Amino acid sequence: MFKWVTLMRPLTILRLALLALPLCAPAQTAPKAENKFVGSAVCKTCHPDVWLNFNKNPHFRSIASGKEEPAKTGCEGCHGPGGNHVAAGGGKPTIRAFSQMSPDQALNTCLECHSKDVARGFVRASAHTEADVVCNSCHSIHKSQSPKFLLAKQQTQLCYSCHAGVRAQFDMPVKHRVNEGSVQCTDCHNPHGSAAPTWKTGTSSAMLAPAHDNEMPCLKCHVDKRGPFVFEHASVRVEGCDNCHMPHGSTNAKLLRRPVVFTLCLECHNGAGTFGRQNAGVITQSATHNMLDPKYQRCTLCHVRLHGSNVDPMFLR
Amino acid sequence: MKKTLFAIFCLSGMLAAQETVAPTVDEKVGPPRGESKGDYNIVQSWELGYRFAAVGGNADKYRSDVNYHDGIRLLGSNLTVNSKDGHGRWFDEIVLSTQGLGNDPYEAATLRVQKNQLYRYDLLWRQNDYFNPGLTVANGEHLETTRHGWQDHELTLFPQSHFRIRAGYSRVAENGPALTTEQEFDGRSDVFPIFRKVRRQFNDFRLGADGQWKGLRFTVQRQWEYFKEDSADSLTSTGALASFQRAQPYRGTTPGWMGNVYGEYKWIALTGRFTYAGGRGAFVQNETAIGTDRFGSAQNRQVIVTGNGDRPVVTGDVNITIFPVGRFTIINHVSASNTRMTGNNFFQQFDNKTFSFSSVNFQFLGVRLVTNATDVRYRFTKTFDLFGGFRYADREIRSIEDSGSPGTALDGISASQSNHTKAGVGGVNWILMKYIRAHAEFEVGRNDNPFTPQSLRDYHAARAKVQYRKKTLLLGGGYQDNYNDNSIQITAYSSHARTYQGEGSWNAKSWVSVDGSYSKLHLDTIGGIDFFAGSPRSQEVTGLQSIYISNIHAANVGLRFAVRQYADLYVGYNLTKDTGDGRSGLATQATAAAQVFYNAQTFPLTYHSPVLRLSVRVTEKLRWNVGYQYYGYREDFGLLSVNQNYRANTGYTSLLWAF
Repeated sequence: MFKWVTLMRPLTILRLALLALPLCAPAQTAPKAENKFVGSAVCKTCHPDVWLNFNKNPHFRSIASGKEEPAKTGCEGCHGPGGNHVAAGGGKPTIRAFSQMSPDQALNTCLECHSKDVARGFVRASAHTEADVVCNSCHSIHKSQSPKFLLAKQQTQLCYSCHAGVRAQFDMPVKHRVNEGSVQCTDCHNPHGSAAPTWKTGTSSAMLAPAHDNEMPCLKCHVDKRGPFVFEHASVRVEGCDNCHMPHGSTNAKLLRRPVVFTLCLECHNGAGTFGRQNAGVITQSATHNMLDPKYQRCTLCHVRLHGSNVDPMFLR
Repeated sequence: MKKTLFAIFCLSGMLAAQETVAPTVDEKVGPPRGESKGDYNIVQSWELGYRFAAVGGNADKYRSDVNYHDGIRLLGSNLTVNSKDGHGRWFDEIVLSTQGLGNDPYEAATLRVQKNQLYRYDLLWRQNDYFNPGLTVANGEHLETTRHGWQDHELTLFPQSHFRIRAGYSRVAENGPALTTEQEFDGRSDVFPIFRKVRRQFNDFRLGADGQWKGLRFTVQRQWEYFKEDSADSLTSTGALASFQRAQPYRGTTPGWMGNVYGEYKWIALTGRFTYAGGRGAFVQNETAIGTDRFGSAQNRQVIVTGNGDRPVVTGDVNITIFPVGRFTIINHVSASNTRMTGNNFFQQFDNKTFSFSSVNFQFLGVRLVTNATDVRYRFTKTFDLFGGFRYADREIRSIEDSGSPGTALDGISASQSNHTKAGVGGVNWILMKYIRAHAEFEVGRNDNPFTPQSLRDYHAARAKVQYRKKTLLLGGGYQDNYNDNSIQITAYSSHARTYQGEGSWNAKSWVSVDGSYSKLHLDTIGGIDFFAGSPRSQEVTGLQSIYISNIHAANVGLRFAVRQYADLYVGYNLTKDTGDGRSGLATQATAAAQVFYNAQTFPLTYHSPVLRLSVRVTEKLRWNVGYQYYGYREDFGLLSVNQNYRANTGYTSLLWAF
């Protein structure tokens, strides 16, 4: 039978006090066993599904080399020392689990090793990072669907999962062949961020991956539009290709922003204001060009070299 | 073990999973067939089949948009070879995948070969059959049917070391026939279609190294680019133009340097970058035309032009990220670039009317750009953070245009202008509930001297997105707008673009999944125009505006269904429908000039494509696949009297062998 007097015994009080101690003292003040590295071989005991295929994972190289320090080797290279995790018999609180990390923490963990490439030099300033889209938003280390880059999905589908509006553009009749597998998003974009562009006003990069000498990425493939030309079409160089073209897809021929070319040309070539390379308006069409004549409605029939010409300032040849 | 290998196979197959009708390599093929050969594990699959296409309507437009045609193809293949212990003798990994080999219009192959710590080699090879008639913009008189090929090779030595050596080679080549136009013999005479044989080559060689010193990582790269074009035009006898020959060889070279330094410490990260590229091109043009002018007189003309162009580009960037405490980040990015484009030519014309004419031309276009972007971010809690920033850019454009007779002093037109950009940005990331996250951001900016009437002047952009993600279910929605007002006294230009989107996917079970998305893309623009029109003589017209209105509804849905391991079925549908400005036809306008622009104000059309794929297991290693995709394109009313409508039934049947 329970007796209240039992509680008042000194030994019992001491026992209760010891039991209550963890409730009073913050966890960090309690003496904590050192969290030791245990090695990846221990991890596979409980995680055989991960380990079985890990030799095909790029991160396996850290194990294969045998030269890396424990903090950069195998499982514990990313998840931290596993000593406490093993001692506790598992559980996410005892290990660096990416599913429990904030985006900042995940980014910092990956950049401990992956910051040495030029392509990731601007990752902390990228629009993806700003939107909390960090490494493990796109990469899946253990369930990747691509041997290269360990992407969580095929690249196109991965990008589409957030950019449905862009997908709609690639489904249009005139488009770059992304869905057909011929072009990839990363041909033009660097999802890890990029430096300020050298065209437009240089303030909005759209994470474009610049071409050969910091030009628009379009010129990686469309090399004949690159020049240098004697007569540059100034708007191409100053404002960029997307001044006239929709780079992803369009319902219009040649990915143009308008279905017919004369409206596109005349919206700039109207002589108004302080625009243009002479800061006095972009020149109007010639008075000999009667817009009722179908020939003059198709500007590019005569101005065939409108991206730039070496021969003619009007881009006629 | 088998399950694992099966998963590996499926994953490698997903690499080539296509929206289009083939290949089918993302379908499952019985139990996996990973084979062990010595210290390596090998997984591979090959899909061989026949593709067919039947097209009605405008075949040129079909070839421009889709371009699949009949024939036997190696639709897809995958091969992975991995060493088991990471200590292979010559290599530790080979990954090879191909798509569309055997004359598909979109052929590609990727290869990676690497030996841990010693080398890594990557190859990307692509080849497109490019066909574009440019119907609505050039009345069908422009056409390209070329083969466009790309290669990228990258070799890295000691890839896991602190010191790495990198070498690369890229090549772009375009060859094939084309059709262009030429106006002879003066500005008011006829335009003639000219045959062109396109020959373009671009070769890029790279050599670089990465090193590390006291926590700083350095990259240096030297680059040599060469471009040459030997396209030639020719024509024999079209009546008024009896003969036309043109050669215009061009040789360009761009040597360049790139340097990068990167350091990441406890509370600060630094990136510095420098690039220099000295583009230079030289050319000769020689053309001869013989025929009759618009008055019926015999005419002949030879034009010879020689010259060169230069474009040195220098850029530098410094990006500093400071994160004194985990929740607070300051980023500052300073960038400067200078582009100088100079070109000159010597133009000589000989003809039987003016006998000779010559001129020298010089042009300079310089763009100097300095930008600064400062961003601050504070994470209040693990689920909520705010960010904001300010952008500033100073762009100066200098221009000299000069032309005159040889031997005379030139006094060219020179001009300069500067534009200042000031923009503010801000946004929020918020995890509203466990599975729901939201992101919103905005940008408001102003350019005080934009370069063209269409350029951004007073602009703002906003974007918001909400996503629900829980295990197998993903739902999302978003909104984005981009507004620009570039109005000045004489002309006014404004552009309103709005996008609404929703997407979802549900992997309900291992044997059934569904995904889909819907987007509405709205665009309306209005711009002041100034042109000449009239009959019998053209007059200047300034009272009209160029208006363009587009309302595109785009939707796609796909359903995957598996009958255990015996069969997989995929049914999908894509739709793009531009409802334009709502008009059902073209109304008659008050003037002929107004009619020309009214007709081009909107371009309603429908483009849709249902797709069906079926994959049936024949044996453990073999699977039979069949696919069908329909493409239907219909314009509500033609522009410039050109009818581009078409419909196409395409498909394939194939055998997929995996082991």
